[in-house]
Amino acid sequence: MNSVREVLRLDRVGKRYPMGDTIVDALVDASFTLNEGEAVAILGPSGSGKSTLMHLLGFLDSPTSGEVIFEGRPVAALTERQRARIRAEKIGFVFQAFNLLPRLSVRANVALPLAYNSAPPADAEARVDRALELVGMTHRAHHKPGELSGGQRQRVAIARALVNEPRILLADEPTGNLDTKTAAAILDLFQELNRLGRTIIVVTHSPEIAARFKRQIHVLDGRVTEGSA
Amino acid sequence: MKRLFSGVINGLAEIWGHKLRSLLTISCVMLGVASMVVTTGFMEGFFGTWEASLQEAGGLEKISGVPQSLSERQAPFAPVSKGFTLADARALTELVPTIAVLSPEIDAESSRLTRKGRRFVGRAQGVTNGIFEINRYEVAEGRMFSDLDMNDHADVIIIGSEVTKNCFQPGENPLGQFLDYNGRPFLIIGVLKHYERLYGTYNTLNWKNDVAFIPITTMASKVQRSDQLSWINMKSEDLSRLRETVDAAANVLAQQHRGLIDFKVKTNEESLASYASTKASFVVGGSAIAGVSLLVSGIGIMNLMLASINERVREIGIRKAIGATPFNIFSQFVAEAVTLSLLGGAAGVGVAVAMIQGLGAVLPPGSAPMLAPSAFWVGFAFSVTAGVLAGIYPAVQAAKLDPIEALRYE
Repeated sequence: MNSVREVLRLDRVGKRYPMGDTIVDALVDASFTLNEGEAVAILGPSGSGKSTLMHLLGFLDSPTSGEVIFEGRPVAALTERQRARIRAEKIGFVFQAFNLLPRLSVRANVALPLAYNSAPPADAEARVDRALELVGMTHRAHHKPGELSGGQRQRVAIARALVNEPRILLADEPTGNLDTKTAAAILDLFQELNRLGRTIIVVTHSPEIAARFKRQIHVLDGRVTEGSA
Repeated sequence: MKRLFSGVINGLAEIWGHKLRSLLTISCVMLGVASMVVTTGFMEGFFGTWEASLQEAGGLEKISGVPQSLSERQAPFAPVSKGFTLADARALTELVPTIAVLSPEIDAESSRLTRKGRRFVGRAQGVTNGIFEINRYEVAEGRMFSDLDMNDHADVIIIGSEVTKNCFQPGENPLGQFLDYNGRPFLIIGVLKHYERLYGTYNTLNWKNDVAFIPITTMASKVQRSDQLSWINMKSEDLSRLRETVDAAANVLAQQHRGLIDFKVKTNEESLASYASTKASFVVGGSAIAGVSLLVSGIGIMNLMLASINERVREIGIRKAIGATPFNIFSQFVAEAVTLSLLGGAAGVGVAVAMIQGLGAVLPPGSAPMLAPSAFWVGFAFSVTAGVLAGIYPAVQAAKLDPIEALRYE
């Protein structure tokens, strides 16, 4: 039997925000399972609740109801420190705005997550080299982010997300600030990474981008529905 | 360790990134540390010298009988008392058994000792061997006075190192040679140890080298031509019987002086008490200066750290998203604050060294501050403390930031 390993599961997850006098339901009863090796697009217009969903999947936020379960353990039971460790070691984040530290070189930016590893890997240098090579940025390793184009910066951000060899890559509108051609190259890179066995979750508002992923999850007004390619 | 190191590197990068702002903050710490180190230097120098002088002037067991002017009521009877005389010394020895050592002294300031056209002008004293024990003098070469010297009113002399320096060629041995004092030759039978405690280039114990001793009997009969004493020093047999000895001595002296209180019996307790109280008030004053400096440095650092965190909210969000724990963020900012204040501290110690040397060149030797090794530790501890204390609040603020809010921050 071909066993599928569950990585992340949402069980009737809800998120409410107080906003002024009213209460906003950003997410209502969201339930789905993400398995190892999947490539998933979370699709929804802006304000639909997909960013909330992304924050919940990355433990940056806690649900007001329901449970997020990571590798079989409920996230609510973890301390903030344990969550930070999981983020450091098992989840790689890619942001729309790249979020590189402008002071640091490309190399130092990529190496940043290694500093937060509980035991810094012995092959830290080699890992940084591998990650830079994977995204094709080895030749710019000593530049500052300000000296790079948007596509190059996003490649560096992806290398940073990959340096700890995480099981999951969480990307929030990774092509939002890029032109069409560069965006296509980044999406090709994600597909390549997925083929290498990584679980990829991409949050996007663009149906065209979502269409490139095997599985799609639609978010609209805080409600989650399973779509298909 | 690795994280601490990266915190320091980060701190240096931040300082470099905001040169003017960092320079101002570092200056705050620098001035704080410099004022601390110089103040400590002043105190160390001042009290070190004072304490050594107290020790060298005889310890706590020392009791002095010194002349004092009569009260108005007794003033008309002044001729009745002869003041301190050798008879007083004999009476004290006989009647107060708790006096272990007694030293009657005739003091002749501005005495001239001459030899082959060279001369020494300074203090000559008529003494007994008691002075060596009570005032802590040591005969380095030769001998002390013998009973024969005392009984015969012998023309013998024991000299301090300043006398040797003034009246002899370097390398010449003064023992067995003669010095002219008051028109007669005195045989040098002993040379005192050279006393030295440098305060910069100034020898604060030089007063102990600036003396010459002759037998008190010789001084009384041949030089002063009366047995009037300048004062009597005594040493109590036991510190616990000090009070008792003082009272007994005062009684004997009152008897000898026919009831006229033209003397005072005092102990080193008084000078020790004034030393202690002065030191206490300086410590309080010094601590106040240190406190204010610490506060000013701390405010400077905290201001810079808060501004820096405000500018780096997004960075904090990013670091948290990629796995930094709140403690990681906290220690990063504390490390940055400490780096900043250590730089200021190092600069402050440098400035203090320059200031102390500058003041040393300008101020008279006795009052210039001293470069105390402890001052470096004080400066170091001071800057680390200021850095940690001022870093904690901003670092806690940074560690508490909500990563989602922080990532949204523009």
